[in-house]
Amino acid sequence: MAISVKVMERPEPEETSYLRAALSGMALTFKHLINPVKVTQQYPEEQTDLHPRWRGTHRMEVHADGRPKCVACGLCPTVCPANCIRLVGGEDDQGNRYPIVYEIDEFRCIFCGMCQEVCPVEAIHVGRHFENAEYTRDRFVYDLDRLMEQEHPTTLLWDPSDPRSE
Amino acid sequence: MAESNEITLTIDGHEVSVRKGTTLLQAAQEIGTSVPHYCYHPGMSSPAMCRLCLVEVEGAPKPMPSCVTQAQDGQVVHTESELALDMRRGVLEFYLVNHPLDCPICDQSGECKLQDYVHEEGREHGRSREPKRVFGRDDFGGDVLFYGDRCVMCTRCVRFMNEVEQDSRLTVVERGNRSIIDTFFEEGLEGTYWHGNIVDICPVGALVSKDFLHKARAWDLDHTDSVCPSCSQGCNVSLHTRDNLVQRIKPRENLAVNGWWMCDYGRMNYEWINAGHRLEAPLVRADGDTRAMGWKEALKALLERAPTAAAHGVKAVASPHASNEDLAAFQALVRDLGGEDVLYRLRVVENERPLKGFPNLARRRELAPNADGAELLGMTRVGDDDASGGLDEVADHDGLILVLGDDLDDQGEEFGRNAACYIHLGAHGGTAPANAHFLLPVTTFAEQEGTFTNRDGRVQRFWPSMETAGAARPPWFVLGVLLAERTGAPAARSAAESFAQLSSRVDAFAGLTYEGLGARGAVVNETVSLTGGG
Repeated sequence: MAISVKVMERPEPEETSYLRAALSGMALTFKHLINPVKVTQQYPEEQTDLHPRWRGTHRMEVHADGRPKCVACGLCPTVCPANCIRLVGGEDDQGNRYPIVYEIDEFRCIFCGMCQEVCPVEAIHVGRHFENAEYTRDRFVYDLDRLMEQEHPTTLLWDPSDPRSE
Repeated sequence: MAESNEITLTIDGHEVSVRKGTTLLQAAQEIGTSVPHYCYHPGMSSPAMCRLCLVEVEGAPKPMPSCVTQAQDGQVVHTESELALDMRRGVLEFYLVNHPLDCPICDQSGECKLQDYVHEEGREHGRSREPKRVFGRDDFGGDVLFYGDRCVMCTRCVRFMNEVEQDSRLTVVERGNRSIIDTFFEEGLEGTYWHGNIVDICPVGALVSKDFLHKARAWDLDHTDSVCPSCSQGCNVSLHTRDNLVQRIKPRENLAVNGWWMCDYGRMNYEWINAGHRLEAPLVRADGDTRAMGWKEALKALLERAPTAAAHGVKAVASPHASNEDLAAFQALVRDLGGEDVLYRLRVVENERPLKGFPNLARRRELAPNADGAELLGMTRVGDDDASGGLDEVADHDGLILVLGDDLDDQGEEFGRNAACYIHLGAHGGTAPANAHFLLPVTTFAEQEGTFTNRDGRVQRFWPSMETAGAARPPWFVLGVLLAERTGAPAARSAAESFAQLSSRVDAFAGLTYEGLGARGAVVNETVSLTGGG
């Protein structure tokens, strides 16, 4: 049986050369090098703008004399769907109810913001903050002192000009 | 209808027949309608001063206070009509004029009648713009703190002290807007024995317990029906637990025993239930060496050793703090091992503390819940009134010693030293129990199901409210297994089965079952008198 041979036609070199594609790619790169419109954010030198309703790690508001605003009413541990708040109430030397123990496990927290919403004295807030890296896991259980030390801005849970989202 | 005591009236469209003299509020409760009220309490007189139970009665010129208006034949009453609701809404608004709305820091929050009623039928928003009057808080002595701002002036506390405790320590001072509950001079409530009840009956957070102050929120507490273990009265109580700890004890209504009340001694005597130092595994001592073991291993060793020791005689000591089931199972095992008499020791104090306004209710002299159960089972009381002594023969006994529940605090290191076998079932260790060859951990009454027999022979059930400590088991279970191993008869698998065994064996308990006892208890066939009680 005779062997039939099919001759493939190869494309011309000017069609297959990578040179043109490489050059057009380089052109795009160099165009962006001199393009005045920059998209990339230079984090961490440049900080990200967080949305006003961003919900991040908590902070506890304090009175002018340094006492926590919390009155240990027990509503936040009750409402917390992740069960991440531990609260033991007591009475301080001025006869005020205050939290002896107030701990939030930020690992268990789902950042729903319901603790802030339910708080009758506007003490506990979720914050506009996301840089929480630690070297050990136990550092993620924030105690009362740690919560009071936090300085990041707090979340706007709703738009003050439109509280009912209408 | 004949000339009877029955009258028929219509409440909210439902016909209801009640006895003559029944108030509208009680008649409404018959058909399951709860009319809001503060000053009315079934255990005291009704001054009709809170004005919250106003209902509309057809033909009456104005809304009637249902707590004092007696039901009439053919009366037509509307508790939820527009007029009645409007009246009550108005009254509630007046209550909130001076109420501080400090629910977040108030201990009553969650079980507060003002919260409930305002939520149910109050106005959504307040209209008062005037500053609120401020009283601050006052220490009433005893266990009671008074927050005057929260008070709704129902005077339940004043009437409780006047009518039920019959020791007038509280009164209303000033008038009108400034009126407030106060004590006389510096005397306060100090020296009264039932004042904890005014905290219970206070519908708002005006009277709070110092012991419970800021301790737990009402909605966090689990409630378990129980019987007070502090004296032989056997008041029906509810154990309020949180995090596996008893936080407080509240009385539970049982008109045959304690009404709505309980004494301060019983109320405060709960810390021992929470005590941390518990036995958590069977400890077996052999050749001077004490080792923790599993139950199976420990009981097997016990069954090998006990019968030989029993040949030298059996001495047994039980505790009147143990339940009927525990005592009966203990007695059955002692008898099976050849013993006869079971001893128990009972603490008896000098004074009874009666509640004058309620029949047959007192903090009794016998400070144990089940001394009558022990008597009914034929056990013998020994020792002095402070529950010490009386065990000299047992301490030096060289045969088998069995102890159930008694911590033997008065006994020294020598107790049970000569015994061939000393078996101790207890919740806590101690000096004398440390000598035991078999130290078996058992539950407290709060961790197990069972019954106590009170001084009137009323057998009352209690329910488990806490997790058991470690490997502790109910005594009736441990003893039942031991007896079953010896006799071959099946062991009780539940407290109900254990009680059934008891009632079939002991005549006094004949005919009683757990179902029959229910939540209110039942009286045994015969009455008994405590030996040495006097």
